[in-house]
Amino acid sequence: MPFYEKGDVRIHYQEAGSGFPLLVIPGGGLNSTVAGLANHPFNPLDEFKGEHRVIAADLRNANGGQSTGPLEIDRPWDAYTDDHIGLMDHLGISEFMVLGFCIGGPFIWNLLKRARGRVAAAVLAQPSGFRPEMPDLFYQNNIKGWGPALCERRPEITMATVDAFLGKMYRANADFVFTVTRDFVRDCRTPILVLPDDVPAHPYAVAMESALLAPNAQVSLYPWKDTTDKIPLAVRHIRTFLKAYRPATATR
Amino acid sequence: MPFYEKGEARIHYEEAGSGFPLLVIPGGGLNSTIAGLATHPFNPFDEFKGEFRVIAADLRNAKGGQSTGPFEVDRPWDAYTDDHIGLMDHLGIRDFMVLGFCIGGPFIWNLLKRAGDRVVAAVPAQPSGYRPEMPDLSYNNNMKGWGPELCARRPGITMAMVDAFLTNMYRARADFVYTVTRDFVRNCQTPILVLPDDVPGHPYAVAMETVHLAPNAQVSLYPWKDTPDKIPLAVRHIRSFLRAYRPVAAAQSMAAAAQ
Repeated sequence: MPFYEKGDVRIHYQEAGSGFPLLVIPGGGLNSTVAGLANHPFNPLDEFKGEHRVIAADLRNANGGQSTGPLEIDRPWDAYTDDHIGLMDHLGISEFMVLGFCIGGPFIWNLLKRARGRVAAAVLAQPSGFRPEMPDLFYQNNIKGWGPALCERRPEITMATVDAFLGKMYRANADFVFTVTRDFVRDCRTPILVLPDDVPAHPYAVAMESALLAPNAQVSLYPWKDTTDKIPLAVRHIRTFLKAYRPATATR
Repeated sequence: MPFYEKGEARIHYEEAGSGFPLLVIPGGGLNSTIAGLATHPFNPFDEFKGEFRVIAADLRNAKGGQSTGPFEVDRPWDAYTDDHIGLMDHLGIRDFMVLGFCIGGPFIWNLLKRAGDRVVAAVPAQPSGYRPEMPDLSYNNNMKGWGPELCARRPGITMAMVDAFLTNMYRARADFVYTVTRDFVRNCQTPILVLPDDVPGHPYAVAMETVHLAPNAQVSLYPWKDTPDKIPLAVRHIRSFLRAYRPVAAAQSMAAAAQ
């Protein structure tokens, strides 16, 4: 059960397979964990370990996970992205692809903002985004579903701190994909594959807006997980997308 | 303006670009021509000539095209497939990919049946298929839109012959994709990317049935051409699909050339 450690941060991760690295960011909001992948529409560790070195981690301070670290109330998104980039550095990985579910969408855009030259291609599955008709959805979900258990486990963290953290994370940039602007997406040349969803936290409109803005984006069938027989079609799309954009040296 | 000739068949074709071969079958039913690609949702010559050797031909005896050939009443689908395979042979091409619009869907399945080991990957775009609620659609469309002009141009061909040809082509096989069975699709391991449509001649249900049956199939977003801004998303999907299944040697030579 490997851990990556840096300062006060201790990140639990798992790897499977070999080949060009694929960082997987599980869904589950701030309770995103490797174990949670078992409840996703498909498990990337199972699907892609035959062709890729697949790496996934518990999110820092996720309930049910084993990763811990400071609660950086001034830079919530960046603190998590530090862990993603730091884990790649720790594993000696310079260039990688990334596949993220739900909250993985905003994390991927933040990764592209901070380490674009290292991300060969990105897959955003059922990505989270801001829904104007439910502007406080994420704050409310996490103040109830994440904060209390975290405070109980970590006595030094108070609900006031959680409130500040979530306020900065979701209320301060309440628009689009939270982490980047539309101009950033419009200028992002990285190959992107979006698999839209349309539950409250995963607005179809934002997923399609990002796909239509990004100059090298493509999109899966939709819906792709309402029936079990469609999921393999989406997984095959992901597989060929990853294969197409894997650096040529990695295919040899 | 090159032609491929074999016996009495004379097929006008065009090519552009270099790289792994991509055979393009234009839509337009039996009036499928290269010129018709200009009115398609996208033109594969423009989109893919930068990475592939793109080849397209006028269908034998299509109105507005320059390809001519015998009128094979007993084997309509196979006669056209002869031309597709023959053109690849003529160009010295063994393995290729194929992208077909509309009638290109049934043609692709027939190619996979007859030369499956040569087709590396296939893209049926807005594929034709049988629609039970409009069982005579394709027969009627061609009796009106293809047969009369052909008879006027080729005095040896009568409307009775056109009727027999179209009957064998569409009425004798009035099911699914016309050219192959569901069992064939179920056993076809070739990578397939389908871009569905849902106009009368291009039933969504048949497109999706093929996708669910074929063990290595995938499907584009849908709809993908109702607004112009979605078409590039579908084209990028096709491009990554073709890149992914292009044989490694071809990909490496492309990479070397780029360097």
